[in-house]
Amino acid sequence: MSVRTQEILIGFGKAKQTDIATANVVGGIWQLKKLNAALANPKLNTENDAEEFGKGHEYITEVFKTSWDVAGTIEKYLSAEIAAWAMAFGLGKVVKAGTNPNFTYTCTPPNPSNGDAVELPFFSFIEQIRPGAGVVLDRTAVGCAVESWQIAVASGPGRANSKITVEFVGSGKLTEPSGITLPAAIVEKLLPSASLALTINGTNYVTNKNIVSLEFGGKNNIRLEDGFYPGSGFQTPADSTSGAIRGRMEYGNRQFNLKFVARFVNGSDELTKLKNQTTGTAVITLTYDANNSLEVTFTKVSFSMAEVVDTDGRVTVSVECAPMYQAGIISAVAKCSVDGICQ
Amino acid sequence: MTKETVWLAPPFGQGEPREVEAKPEVIVPLLVAGWSQCAAPAAEKEVTEHVG
Repeated sequence: MSVRTQEILIGFGKAKQTDIATANVVGGIWQLKKLNAALANPKLNTENDAEEFGKGHEYITEVFKTSWDVAGTIEKYLSAEIAAWAMAFGLGKVVKAGTNPNFTYTCTPPNPSNGDAVELPFFSFIEQIRPGAGVVLDRTAVGCAVESWQIAVASGPGRANSKITVEFVGSGKLTEPSGITLPAAIVEKLLPSASLALTINGTNYVTNKNIVSLEFGGKNNIRLEDGFYPGSGFQTPADSTSGAIRGRMEYGNRQFNLKFVARFVNGSDELTKLKNQTTGTAVITLTYDANNSLEVTFTKVSFSMAEVVDTDGRVTVSVECAPMYQAGIISAVAKCSVDGICQ
Repeated sequence: MTKETVWLAPPFGQGEPREVEAKPEVIVPLLVAGWSQCAAPAAEKEVTEHVG
């Protein structure tokens, strides 16, 4: 007997948790498909008494549960739904507008100096394999937050040319079994590579037909060690032997990235813009239809690296941008038909 | 066609919520400045004094 990893079901909060320790309820959870087989295995950290005196030897006689970690990765073809979710939970500040079935989520990173939260919204992450009588795996990681998100757009017609990878970390709190019956997986509206509209630093790379590939994302550098403080709590409430869990997960120094490869032809000005440190906005749009899309705006970028290279026998320029703050650093407008994302 | 609007609360909870047009060019600068979405204020009920 064996169990195929293709049976893995994942569900996670499309709604945000009310706080780090309170799991999403069923109505706030959705199920989506993913590409990667890896599981978000909880890790129990332990310590032992090997170095303690009084035993007469150097060996371990007792092991103590110290704390719990949870980390996972979701790899998916980019869709309007996961894009809206990743922007809302990955950037952290959301305004929802619209009415059923057309919703718009406008997202920015929070700004603590203007009174915004120092934590990102939390969600629960559920993994199941044959939940129920023949259960193989059924657990919920409570209090998860997006550590990083990365969108990659490449040349080619297939779905794999527009993908998103989301890494998340958790408070360590687990519920086993999850007690959740996942809803049916939603049908997603893909945002394909061929729909790209792209202007960076004054150049429309789609109009000039020169874009080859593009990658952009953000990293929140969540301060995991700060999550354990006196009173942060235990895996089993009031059971001090069950291992500590985090009571908070604040974001650290956030970083955003944007890089692309474009054909380098007569008139290409990336090297000149690098030398002159020319600045401008970068606007990236991927569209399914008028009501399902993602538009990400980097307020101001300069080029930090531009190298002429070979891509499949063509002369191209590989450019890395330095996102700069100018009345904001990044914003996203995500449209989809799903209500209640990060609400 | 009426303009779509959202309600935003000011930074640090200081001041009155504002109803703004739900356009990114309006919302994003306010989000950066610390405004955040809130529920629409409850409509004020007209108080009628009962004279009996």
